[in-house]
Amino acid sequence: MADNISLSPIKDMELRASRIPGVVSLAQGVPSFDTPETIKQAAIRAIERGKVAKYSLAPGLLELREVITQKLEEENKFYDFEEEVIVTAGSIEAITATMLTILSPGDEVLVPDPTYTSYQPAIKVAGGVPVFVPLDEKNHWSFDIAELEKRITPKTKALLFCNPNNPTGTIFTRNQLHAVAQMAIKHDFYILSDEVYKDFIFDGFDEGSTFGNRKVEPSRSGLYSLAEMRGIRDRLVYIFSFSKAYAMTGWRIAYLATHHELAKKILGTHDVLVTCAPVVSQYAALGALEMAEKDLAGYHRIYKARRDLICERLDKLAHVFEYQKPDSAYFVFPKIKKEILDKMPNISNSKDFAIELLEKAHVATVPGNAFGPSGENHIRMCFGRSEEDINEAFDRLEKYFKVFL
Amino acid sequence: MKPFFKKFIQFYLKLYTKIILWRFRPFVIAVAGSTNKTPVKDYSLKFLREKYGADDVRGNPRSYNTEIGLPLAILYLDSGESSFWKWLEVLVQAKMKALFSSNFPKKLVLELGVGKEGDMRYLLGMVHPDWAVVTNIEGSYSDAESNLDELQEEMKVLAKSLPAKGRIFLNFDDGRVRSLAKNTKAEVVGYGFSEDATAKISNLKTTVEGQTFDFEFRGKKEPVEIKKYGRHNVYAWVIAKIVKESL
Repeated sequence: MADNISLSPIKDMELRASRIPGVVSLAQGVPSFDTPETIKQAAIRAIERGKVAKYSLAPGLLELREVITQKLEEENKFYDFEEEVIVTAGSIEAITATMLTILSPGDEVLVPDPTYTSYQPAIKVAGGVPVFVPLDEKNHWSFDIAELEKRITPKTKALLFCNPNNPTGTIFTRNQLHAVAQMAIKHDFYILSDEVYKDFIFDGFDEGSTFGNRKVEPSRSGLYSLAEMRGIRDRLVYIFSFSKAYAMTGWRIAYLATHHELAKKILGTHDVLVTCAPVVSQYAALGALEMAEKDLAGYHRIYKARRDLICERLDKLAHVFEYQKPDSAYFVFPKIKKEILDKMPNISNSKDFAIELLEKAHVATVPGNAFGPSGENHIRMCFGRSEEDINEAFDRLEKYFKVFL
Repeated sequence: MKPFFKKFIQFYLKLYTKIILWRFRPFVIAVAGSTNKTPVKDYSLKFLREKYGADDVRGNPRSYNTEIGLPLAILYLDSGESSFWKWLEVLVQAKMKALFSSNFPKKLVLELGVGKEGDMRYLLGMVHPDWAVVTNIEGSYSDAESNLDELQEEMKVLAKSLPAKGRIFLNFDDGRVRSLAKNTKAEVVGYGFSEDATAKISNLKTTVEGQTFDFEFRGKKEPVEIKKYGRHNVYAWVIAKIVKESL
């Protein structure tokens, strides 16, 4: 099985970049900030009080799970903290544990194309087969429900998607999500909704909708989530990670929430994989939810400014790239113009292009085909990095692409 | 925050809290336990505000319930976080409120957060609850005995502190909580699924929309539907209901 699982292309680019001195990396989706002081202090206090040396309960500290559900309630998502929330070692553990629980060998899992690179190996580890569902690039990388339905077979067991989407920064609308939910009910499959970027909505997005004569109020968080839909809670796994929102990638802490019957099954797999999430990180996560609201708001302002900066800089490279302004997350996914590729005879795909940028311009990006076939001829750039890095990277790119003018 | 500065803030916040409580003498309902304090407080505030009006009832904003959080909750002030100057401002405001404010709620529903031995005694040095609710005594660690006895001792301190005309609402489904009945002069009101509970829950069902159950108190039985999941929310609703009906 290990033969068909290789190192993530994102990490591969980071590895290549690390071998070249002076590279500016816009590759890996890592925030440029350190973890907020309040969170670090919460972890330090827990260490000093002798609270982190032992295993926690497998689903996590009671007080953390309780605060998680209180925060979810503020977003109109209702779960029982005692039986429906599992704190995991990062969101990828939540995804892998769920896949290992629900899949039998050969089961198919629908994934949007393009989407986060690590979904495919997580599915394969569980013996599943990823099936790409192309997103509609012309419609801001939205779901094409007809394309989705075409790919559903008797072996389809789940849809795994990221909302807002990585790498496109797309927010899927309420109507699209309802259509997806209807498909799941009709064809009896699970939905895993990975909402790691839910706190980075740049322009108040969800405006509500109408069902018949009834007006549906906008979602409280600005992002409508399928976790707000009670009718599918028995087939929905909601996933959130602290990594991006609270600059905690190294702490490896996330959680999933789902109906108690499914949660009970996933808990068994989670126990086998990690016993429990790191307890010190659980206390840090508790600190994040209780005390880091202002940090979160601060990051949001900064990322929005960086989003605007990277778009301005991309506008100056209009002869090289065309792009769609991301609504959310901290990625932009520009398309490489055909005229440029025609002028680069040695470049046959986005991987070659990204390696060319790395080796010649000393700027690391991620090739679009790493995110699925529809990502070909695109690259992903992360604006989680500092403004200084973004400006330096684009100064280098402008210099490199001058010859193609 | 430096330990000396923290002690300094703690001392003054406690002093001003005692002054304001002495001046206005509100009816205090304390909510303690391992978990479920916030849902109990939230439901209680909702029900009591329906009965007495929003201005007359107040609870901890967020979950301010520790040695610094609780006085902030009572004085209704925000945290100074890690800023020295903000804390000085908080202390000035605390002093002004304690000495000169003319309005204060008549009823307080206060979560008491206890993390280690001695915490309850410290909090009770500030507030003297008339009534108390104990939600549960549960652990977060995989070894079953992990500090639960210590936590039970803290809850005993609360039970013992209540006056004879006071009332304590105990979760009769939790053995450790139930046993607190032996440690109080106050009237004991047991709630839960147990047969001998005064406020009894039965026939609990989970539906797509939430939960339904039957609630029986003082000879009256009624069907209830709540839009939330999990037993803890059922307990929280029941506690709030009996507190409202008893007050």
